[in-house]
Amino acid sequence: MDSLTIPATGRTPGVSFDFAGGHLRMTGESYPDDVAGFFGPVFDALRGYLARPDGGAIRFDMELLYFNSSSAKALMNIFQMLETVAKAGRPVTLTWCVEENDESMRELGEDFAEDLRHVVFRMREIPAGGSP
Amino acid sequence: MLAQQYAAIKRDLDDKGILFSFSGYLSEGILYSLGEALREKMALEEADGPTIRRVFSVFVEQMQNIIRYSAEKMSGRAGRAVELSAGMVTIGVEDGKVFIVCGNTVRNGDVPRLKQRLDHLKSLDRNGIKSYYREQLREEPDDGSRGATLGLIEIARRASDPIDYDFNAMDADRSFFCLKVRV
Repeated sequence: MDSLTIPATGRTPGVSFDFAGGHLRMTGESYPDDVAGFFGPVFDALRGYLARPDGGAIRFDMELLYFNSSSAKALMNIFQMLETVAKAGRPVTLTWCVEENDESMRELGEDFAEDLRHVVFRMREIPAGGSP
Repeated sequence: MLAQQYAAIKRDLDDKGILFSFSGYLSEGILYSLGEALREKMALEEADGPTIRRVFSVFVEQMQNIIRYSAEKMSGRAGRAVELSAGMVTIGVEDGKVFIVCGNTVRNGDVPRLKQRLDHLKSLDRNGIKSYYREQLREEPDDGSRGATLGLIEIARRASDPIDYDFNAMDADRSFFCLKVRV
């Protein structure tokens, strides 16, 4: 399996994990009615990819505009998986996209970044005006 | 008589600045629909994206608390898993600020722990809430809590004033719990 693509819905994020290119992206909004049901397959696919021996560099673009507290736990899980492989020497960059006036999302980025020692964390401002 | 009766209820809601009010069995589907209506209403009033998201975020966490923790619920499978939880949600504007009040039945045995959590949150300043969030983000959820702690912190974090809560004993087993948040 060299990619995982899940189209966004009103309350679940768009997932495009291009494993061959080492480029992972999440977009849209995340407040699923069944968090475990949504993120379970995402974790499985990611775990499978990270366990491969031929580990190249990974770029993860976090472009969510909104996520609820249960999704925050799920995201934390994903970043911990990335941190583990980064610690083992695989180059990982996490780009946290924030609309220019969204202080809440910026703060959340700082919260998540605090635990990342080996993953390179970048905050990137994007123009405001995505869907609210 | 009929119209008069309901007009009185509506007038009472209007006088309190209430934009939306729902009482009865809540579900994830209702959360989604009411949430959309709330965002559309705020967008029409030209609120900016981050403000809308802040209000929406408090609304989602409050609704999910009712759906998960109301002591009065029906669940089962009607083709798919369904969880219906009794409660009420009210959104309005007061002194230029949006407020969200949620109410639901809780078991009396759960009251002390919930009170303790809420009082702890109320005692924290902005930075305290922030570090508490960071700490809980890394914690495994408590047994049976399904992540409630982080949800309450998220609510306190987005609130512009300290959160307000109250309990009203209903009988020997249950109390009515109310949480008011201004954003």
